[in-house]
Amino acid sequence: MTTARRRPPIAVVAVAAVAVAFFALPLIGLLQRASWSTFGHDLNTSQSREALRLSLVCSLSATALSILFGMPLAWVLARIAFPGRALVRGLVLLPLVLPPVVGGVALLSAFSNNGLLIKPLNQFLAQHTDWHIQLTFTTAGAVLAETFVALPFFVITVEAALRTMDRRYEDVAATLGADRWTVFRRVTLPAILPSVIAGSVLAWARALGEFGATITFAGNIIGRTQTLPLAVYLALEGNPDVAIALSLVLLGVSLIVIVSLRDRWLERS
Amino acid sequence: MRRSLTVTLAVILSLGFVASGCSSSKQADTATTGTTVSSAAPVTGTITVSAAASLTGAFGTIKDDFVKANPGATVTINFGSSGTLETQIESGAPADVAAFADEATMKKLSDKQLLAAPAQIFATNQLVIVTKPGNPKGIKTLADLATAGTISLCADTAPCGKYASQILQGAGVTIPTSSVTQGQDVKTTLAAVTDGDAVAGIVYVTDAQAAGAKVDTVEIPTAQNAVAKYPIAVLKATTSSALADAFMAYVLGPEGQAVLKAAGFQAP
Repeated sequence: MTTARRRPPIAVVAVAAVAVAFFALPLIGLLQRASWSTFGHDLNTSQSREALRLSLVCSLSATALSILFGMPLAWVLARIAFPGRALVRGLVLLPLVLPPVVGGVALLSAFSNNGLLIKPLNQFLAQHTDWHIQLTFTTAGAVLAETFVALPFFVITVEAALRTMDRRYEDVAATLGADRWTVFRRVTLPAILPSVIAGSVLAWARALGEFGATITFAGNIIGRTQTLPLAVYLALEGNPDVAIALSLVLLGVSLIVIVSLRDRWLERS
Repeated sequence: MRRSLTVTLAVILSLGFVASGCSSSKQADTATTGTTVSSAAPVTGTITVSAAASLTGAFGTIKDDFVKANPGATVTINFGSSGTLETQIESGAPADVAAFADEATMKKLSDKQLLAAPAQIFATNQLVIVTKPGNPKGIKTLADLATAGTISLCADTAPCGKYASQILQGAGVTIPTSSVTQGQDVKTTLAAVTDGDAVAGIVYVTDAQAAGAKVDTVEIPTAQNAVAKYPIAVLKATTSSALADAFMAYVLGPEGQAVLKAAGFQAP
């Protein structure tokens, strides 16, 4: 038994190594193709800086919205049995399988000026106020598109944690007189915290790399909706060096965040 | 030796197309049958054609007609912005024929010696302003675009973007950056007007025509307009040059030209 533990199974390690190479090789290729002599110059344009700023603002906002709406949704899906629960869960996961560009078209059909929700809403607002809502071509629209694709990652991760946690602790806390909110805050949340962090990181990473839904729904306006992936996509044609430099920044930022979070939060449990 | 033979064959075939097309241009049906007969040895094989997004409708039809006339041939078309297609070809993507929306992009390929033979112009196109149906913002001139709201333009890396900047510059119109949403190619640029909330855009006449009732068009005066010239060429890397040559000849020939004309393109 001790020898088995000391010697890792070679076949498993070998397959794992293939998987690592599968991820590492494209990255190494990208690093090799980068034009390092012009790297700083490529990044130091106002368009690149704006894109990086927008990417951070939009992805963090999308993550915040994912937590705000995803937490109650995950709790409802995990704890309340209601008819059609499987259907609702399927609906939540839809953005995972929908091609993002199609997601963008779907968002347009609901939230564009002629969309299902915004059109009647604006008609109503026009009668009673002088407000007017427009999401397309705005930074809020980019956040909406990113939330659409990021939210499912948070919900599935947290829902799984809620389902597998030992509920007896919650019951004990309740019998000791804690109200529901206290139980959630003092017992449930600490128990599922690693999953909440993991879900947030997944949602954030997905939002950061979001392209299709954003360009389709929010458009591609410099300084307003042109996030890093959009800037990369356009730069790929005329200035591949700039595109690679921007991609490496995107990779670098996400790698730093994910690695540091893993060490601090995920492995502690 | 073999290759020059097949090229000769293709040239003879294409001359056959021209002849049959000229003699019976008013009898489209018989012309098609005539073609099938005249190409006694239809070309076979598989080719990939990298074609500009603005050619989507026309090249789809041309491909179908071509395959009907050459049942042994398989033609795959890869549509995209000419800039993207050029990058793909340069990095070794397997393509046999390139059909672009501007000469500058094709010149990049010829400068890098990636073409089997010099490119030929097979169509021209002009640009037009498209607006939401009914033109709710009352756009009448290029100058109106500067203040109308969010305008959809192709990115500068796509030919339609270069033409649009050229047109706007020529007319002395500057649209603020914060009012411009950039499309990757002409189709996405158009979609921002048809499906999205852009109030107007500048696209090719052909794309505006294909969009039908989904847009209203506002013509750009000829003096201010740009003429997009579409070059086509067979790539040096092709592994089925006979078929590639035959396809290019078909596009340049009467059948191909008739389809392009119906889609709103002008003759070269």
